[in-house]
Amino acid sequence: MSEFRIPEAMARALIEHAQAEYPKECCGIIAGPPGEAREVFRLTNIDPDPVMRYNADPKELKHVTDQVYDRDWDIVSIYHSHTHSPAFPSATDVDRAFYPEAVYTLVSLQDRQHPDLRAFRILDGRIEELTVIREEDAA
Amino acid sequence: MAVEVRVPTILRKHTDGAKAIEGAGSTIREVLADVDAKHPGMRAAIVTDDGELHRFINMYLNDEDVRFLGSLETPVSDGDVISILPAVAGG
Repeated sequence: MSEFRIPEAMARALIEHAQAEYPKECCGIIAGPPGEAREVFRLTNIDPDPVMRYNADPKELKHVTDQVYDRDWDIVSIYHSHTHSPAFPSATDVDRAFYPEAVYTLVSLQDRQHPDLRAFRILDGRIEELTVIREEDAA
Repeated sequence: MAVEVRVPTILRKHTDGAKAIEGAGSTIREVLADVDAKHPGMRAAIVTDDGELHRFINMYLNDEDVRFLGSLETPVSDGDVISILPAVAGG
């Protein structure tokens, strides 16, 4: 299984974002130099059914991707939360996986006291789970 | 009018991997026709059979979302940049 390395503080930040938006789904982008999860950009979920779906605000998306482009960074991961189902891509997630270069990170708050964070590649309709390695910050 | 069209990763299979290509025309629709002639498949990935922008494609003329301008009929000028960004969306 391939790996997805993410700083522990960043993993916690994604879970905090999911908790803050609950019961709506949160969404955002993790960007950085190729392959490196460096910075989180929260995006506003403007889907009309935000408990069941997400769709990032197009204006914010443009603003974030401009910064990514200007820094010569990549969209390393796209993250969102599931508030009533496991941290596994739904059929809608697969249908709308338009960023083949990105790791799709999911946070599940199905059990709010025990958030689950998992990561996947979604390519041509196929889901491949990645091993998430949460790296503690260097002392 | 020559404009730059920025291409997302998922559409670079139509552009031999190029991140940006050049297009010509006086409106976005004309630019897309020109781009499609050089890179077949690009227009079908962006525009529906009814000739409208695909629901899950965001397109920007410079910084503005074209849905808030004139959509595909928006006029373009020399040096403009058209950015195509698929929706960050799911369920």
